Amino acid sequence: MPSVSSGHALDLEKFLKSLKGQPLEASINSLISLLKRRQIKGSEPCAVATAHILLQVVARSKWHDVDSLLINVSRTGRKLVDAQPNELVIGNIVRRVLGLIRDEASEDRGDAGDESASDAPTPTDIVPPAATSQQWTTRRLDSANSAAPAARPPIVSSYSSINPPKSLFHLLSTSPPADGDVSPFRNSGASTPTWRGNSSQIHALRSEVIDGIEEIKDEISQVDDQIAASAEVQIHPGDLVLVHQPSTTVERFILRAAQKRKFTVLIAVAPPRRHSAEGQHATFRKKLSAAGITVVNVMNGGLMAYMSRVNKVIIGARAIVATGGVVADAGAAAIARAAKEQGTAVVVLSGVYKLSPESPFDESSLIEWGDSSTFVSFADGPLVSGAEIRTALTELIQPELVDTYITNLGTHSRDHLSSLISDHYKREDADFHIWEEAEP
Amino acid sequence: MSHKGKNSASSAKGKKPSKAGAESKGEDVLQAVVLADSFQDRYKPFTVETPRCLLPLANTPLIEYTLEFLAMNGVQEVYIYCGAHTDQVEDYIGRSRWAPSSKSCPFSVLQFVRVADARSVGDVLRDMDKRSLVDGDFLLVHGDMVSNLILDGALAAHRKRRETSAANIMTMILHSGGTEEHRTKTKGITPVFVVDTKTQRCLHYDEMNPLQSDHYLSLDPAIADELSTEFEVRADLIDAQIDICTPEVLALWSESFDYELPRRNFLHGVLKDWELNGKMIYAEIFEDGYAARASNLQMYDAISRDILGRWTFPFIPENNIVPKQAYKKHSNNVMIETGASHAHDATLRNSVIGTDTSIGSGSKVINSIIGTGCTIGANVTLENSYVWNGTTIGDGTTVSQSILADNVVVGKGCTIPTGSLISYGVHISDGIAFSTAAVLSTVTSTGKQVTNKDTNLLGPDSNAAPFYDPEDDELDDEDPSRLQKSLIYSLANYNLSSSSISTLASDDGSDSDADDADSNLLSADAAHSNRSRLSSFASDDSAGKMSFHADAVHGLLDALRADSGDFDSAKLEFMGLRLANNASDAMMRKAVATAFARRAVELVAPEHGGLDPSKAAERALTACRGAPKFVNEVGVGGGQAAQVEFVLALQRALSHYYNHAKGQDQQSGGKTATLLPAMLQQLYALDILEEEGILGWWGDARAVDGEAMAGLKDKCRVLVEWLENAEEEDDDDDDDDDSD
Repeated sequence: MPSVSSGHALDLEKFLKSLKGQPLEASINSLISLLKRRQIKGSEPCAVATAHILLQVVARSKWHDVDSLLINVSRTGRKLVDAQPNELVIGNIVRRVLGLIRDEASEDRGDAGDESASDAPTPTDIVPPAATSQQWTTRRLDSANSAAPAARPPIVSSYSSINPPKSLFHLLSTSPPADGDVSPFRNSGASTPTWRGNSSQIHALRSEVIDGIEEIKDEISQVDDQIAASAEVQIHPGDLVLVHQPSTTVERFILRAAQKRKFTVLIAVAPPRRHSAEGQHATFRKKLSAAGITVVNVMNGGLMAYMSRVNKVIIGARAIVATGGVVADAGAAAIARAAKEQGTAVVVLSGVYKLSPESPFDESSLIEWGDSSTFVSFADGPLVSGAEIRTALTELIQPELVDTYITNLGTHSRDHLSSLISDHYKREDADFHIWEEAEP
Repeated sequence: MSHKGKNSASSAKGKKPSKAGAESKGEDVLQAVVLADSFQDRYKPFTVETPRCLLPLANTPLIEYTLEFLAMNGVQEVYIYCGAHTDQVEDYIGRSRWAPSSKSCPFSVLQFVRVADARSVGDVLRDMDKRSLVDGDFLLVHGDMVSNLILDGALAAHRKRRETSAANIMTMILHSGGTEEHRTKTKGITPVFVVDTKTQRCLHYDEMNPLQSDHYLSLDPAIADELSTEFEVRADLIDAQIDICTPEVLALWSESFDYELPRRNFLHGVLKDWELNGKMIYAEIFEDGYAARASNLQMYDAISRDILGRWTFPFIPENNIVPKQAYKKHSNNVMIETGASHAHDATLRNSVIGTDTSIGSGSKVINSIIGTGCTIGANVTLENSYVWNGTTIGDGTTVSQSILADNVVVGKGCTIPTGSLISYGVHISDGIAFSTAAVLSTVTSTGKQVTNKDTNLLGPDSNAAPFYDPEDDELDDEDPSRLQKSLIYSLANYNLSSSSISTLASDDGSDSDADDADSNLLSADAAHSNRSRLSSFASDDSAGKMSFHADAVHGLLDALRADSGDFDSAKLEFMGLRLANNASDAMMRKAVATAFARRAVELVAPEHGGLDPSKAAERALTACRGAPKFVNEVGVGGGQAAQVEFVLALQRALSHYYNHAKGQDQQSGGKTATLLPAMLQQLYALDILEEEGILGWWGDARAVDGEAMAGLKDKCRVLVEWLENAEEEDDDDDDDDDSD
């Protein structure tokens, strides 16, 4: 297979490259098509793409006050959510950006348009408003080059479950938490600010929101590292750890632990497909063996027999709903249930951006159904015409089956998720995707 | 003779980037040519009013799937040829998100190509070559194609091959269909690809159909000798006719002015003449993914089922690929668009239901696709059917495996049986039940309103009549395209040959009608010769050998039936055929023997006068001036060995008719049997056969091969004994002479 970038078929990388050269509307439409065609899939690429396109909306769409900006963002967001309703992260990112705008706007109103004051919390980003677009491109390059630990140190232990961050703004800010003036924001979102400013204020707001979105992007790119930081605490020497179709997050987590600890990894793999029977997670296995870790591949069917010996089950989440239910790759729910029966701990790894305030009453609407050809060959004529084939891509793990959630902010219990949600999302944005706007 | 672009905006837009592409050698820009008209009429009666590419497949116009596929693969420049109903297609595209003026169009160029008086795909592509619109690798696809393949791998492989050698001009994208029966394989016409296992080079292409007289594929010996050490002959492939081409492909089209079809003519021809043109074509065979062409109604049906089965993922209704669609998946695999409603006690399963459609209580909708704005009454049963937009179906009606187009009104309590096609705006009154599949339309095949409404069939409120396409009559009975013109693939009404390795190809034709009491030999003959002529589209290969025999027999029979007149022209024709087909002496002998035997059999048959066998033999052989000479020179043409062979051929031909006649009644069986000695005697009398020849045959082991052959031979005992005696007498005479 040639590398993806050499081909013509579109993907996330090509989409991001095309952003600059295209009019905004074309970019939005092309992202919608990519989402619908599932050419951008998986929670992280979706989140990245959403953040990028919203940044474009903020930077390039026409808006003259906060309200119109909010409308622009939520309108775009709604289109994206409709394009791929099963990816909850898209809605999450949109809500984060909406919350960000509200925060910045209320802060500016509070500061009476004092530009210098609004710049204060982000001292590293003092740029004239005119250079805004220049700025975000260079910054994006920075973040792509490395995890940029200097600019954005990992969230320190003070952001633990005991002491959750007080506001979105401070969570994202690079500066240490400011003192007293944090608390006013806490409930400021309850009323939409009726902020109207002159052009300089709009410029200021724009650059601040753009900075905020850049930080969201950085957060997404650093999530894996930050989650991996707690690997040593979770995995003990001699443990038998079961992972299910490890995502990159899970792989990083295990590899980090492997640097210090000796343990055994069981990889639950999907039933072999016709072409990739050998190749599943090959590089991951290789890396683990290099680190001296014993790796055992187990087919899903044989898993239950091992479960009594397993100490920990680690599952990478695609999304977490408000109730604590976890949307994960198909097959994970059965593993989680088996683990529960055997009293094995189930640990879910997820970036905070995957935590959704939504809690659909209809669980089946969360499940994504995929291509029938995953397990059955289309060349098998009698089976194609004689059987109805359904392939679930995702499953919902019931909240009571999960013991621990590990996010980039630390380790949480289920009860704590609701406060995480209220920290990250404004209540009025929770249902942005079903609003029908009054104006055209 | 042709003009570019529809509106100035699109053509002006189109020119610039394509020129820029030419300067950058077109490396980065992927172009595509969409053939939205296939120059076929397999969707009639629907395509009388609407172009094929706008017909809804799972409630989405077919062209959307094609354009989505192109957009998915990062195609930048698209050229669409529309053909019939160009205005409708341009209007549709102009109002859709693909319009070059709309910001959502993912293509930098989308241009309509109009070709005046194009009558085939070949004409369009030759015109494309003249305009030199494409300058790099391009995709050649059809406007009725559904695929979710990502072509990056194939494109990269194609590019690599092209860089290795400029002779590697084309890569076909094929999909494996498995060895077993598969609904998405094309019915009626089976494409056969011969592909090198290692290099993926396509070595030969042919098509087969169940109506042809033989089921053989003949390969150029050079394939095994020179071209490939290891190759596969695959008849299982699903061909969506997606081709990655270099501009040389268009040049090749231009060189061959008579090529019409991309596969049957172009591919076959280019591969056959590989020595001449030195071009190579490759086949990329996919195991995963999906690719198929809704090239006829049967494929339409199959692809709709594949969409319901989610094989075409992500192009399924649930993903709402087209803007403004809002399908949601419900239980039982029912996709319902927002705004549709159904009674709570309606049974819905594995179906798609468009917006503003309502389904009455107690109705059953199973494996069906219903468009937008339809009204389905109460207690309606809809199975395996396709209902397009705005159609009303009355209470208690049953529809099974049929297509109901836009704005059809079906009354209460009707029965629409399997295979019906009901075109736009047809009204059917209450309580009408068709006994067989009906094809109804409000327009005639030329697009005019029907004047003679068929109120007997469709009830008093009707505005339609059964659709009748005069072009169907022009088609030969055995044209395989007939098989593809109905929704349901069926061979029930055709006489099929069961190909066997028998000595006479004509066995096949009549074997299958043997049970058919009405069939007489004449009709079997006619059908047979038709079939054979069509079975090979390039006359000199695949079925060429067989077709020589059939053509030759047919030609000779015609001359013989004329009874009087000169045989010279028939001879000339025969020799011409022989040269064209490079037929061997044995084949010629067989053909001549068969023709004369058949004529003789005809003459003894009651409906042709029921002549005595001896009279019939005489008449068959001598009625035409020049015929004996012809038999002597062409049929026998040599010494004793040749004579033996000719008698054997005659015996085989007669034994076949003997079997057939015996089955009908004993008397004509006996007559047929005595034809052999009668003919032999006649030939002997004409000095065509000599004693040595007949006696040589008598002693030949092949003459008793089978019961019928032995029976026939037995009838000749008297003749042979007489001949032996005559010989002895001759000897005696000689002796006498010597003694003198």
